[in-house]
Amino acid sequence: MKRIIALLIFCFFVSMTSVFSQVDNHLSIQYDMSFGTGDLGDYISAPSFRGASAQYRYAATHNILVGIDAAWNVFYEKRDYDSYTSGTMTLSGVQYRYQNQVPLLVAIDYVFNPEKAFQPYLGLGLGTMYSERNTQMGIWVLEENPWQFALKPEVGIMYKFAYSNAIKLGVKYYSGFGGDLGTQSYITVSVGVAFGF
Amino acid sequence: MKKNVFYLIGIILLMVSCYPDETMYYDDTDLVYTNYTETFDFAGKGTYAMPDKIVKVTGNLAEGQEPEYVSPTYATVILGNIESNMTTLGWTRVEDPADADLTLFPAVWTNTTVVYWYDYWCWYYYYCGWGWYYPSYSTYTSGTLVMGLAASGGDYVEPSIVWAAAINGLMSGSYDVTRVTNALNQAFKQSPYLNTK
Repeated sequence: MKRIIALLIFCFFVSMTSVFSQVDNHLSIQYDMSFGTGDLGDYISAPSFRGASAQYRYAATHNILVGIDAAWNVFYEKRDYDSYTSGTMTLSGVQYRYQNQVPLLVAIDYVFNPEKAFQPYLGLGLGTMYSERNTQMGIWVLEENPWQFALKPEVGIMYKFAYSNAIKLGVKYYSGFGGDLGTQSYITVSVGVAFGF
Repeated sequence: MKKNVFYLIGIILLMVSCYPDETMYYDDTDLVYTNYTETFDFAGKGTYAMPDKIVKVTGNLAEGQEPEYVSPTYATVILGNIESNMTTLGWTRVEDPADADLTLFPAVWTNTTVVYWYDYWCWYYYYCGWGWYYPSYSTYTSGTLVMGLAASGGDYVEPSIVWAAAINGLMSGSYDVTRVTNALNQAFKQSPYLNTK
């Protein structure tokens, strides 16, 4: 009997290890809410509720995950009728401002407590970001669309709720720099699901 | 993995479907542009001349060909509004340009843009049978009213435009006097340097 109980306990721990290791390598799909900061925040002060991101992670070690990130965040604001002056020129009208941000990054995460259900993590991403700023006034459109170098620190938590699934909540700070548009930065709050395999 | 990819595609499609595309009204496209010569002393002047017709710019005129004019019904409203604004700023209208400090030239033109697209699906996949297909298309017409204040004599041996205004917007198909008068009022409002008082 004791042997059977010992065997059951052994099997339980082995299965738990198996459960938790399933989400180490994962693909997560997340809904993003973003808030422009700096120049982007001045251009569009309204928060963005249109965004999604995908992250692939491979467990390089027990605590370290490496992978790639891709996201698409759409900022939009309608500015009421106003006048804009530059030198001796003045232009008045309604402005529709759009800005698309598409970061593509290689990323590394450090996971705390990888053996537990709640796993806080710190991450860093490095890569490029496509920014497309589109200012529409009347029937005219001014478009600026540089590719920029991008940096993304991230902090978050994963909660494993099933054999190979986890809820992933993260706060990311994207910063794209270089190019004519100047530094474009924003904070994103992401919530989504990770699928382990 | 296949399931995850479908989820990702689903989220992207969802995002595209909620891409901001706010309904625009015709007057949201109205644009008022003004510019002036910074060194010109408007305050030291007080009289202007203006034709009692508004020229329609339709292209180059043949030798001896009469230009087209805006219908007197609409021209009266437009010229009346211009005169009212100039009077408010302290200007007096005179009949003969030779007696005036400045001459105001109004003109209008319209521009129709055709956007067309072919149903490529038909061309490549034979769904619509054989044959050549007429493209789908839509058109939009924008209208522009320009005003130029020309100075001559004194420092200006050649007549020169010292103030210019352009009013541009999508045309709705019906003459909207409120849009035109609002835009005209805005052109003078954003040009406080014209004030001679």
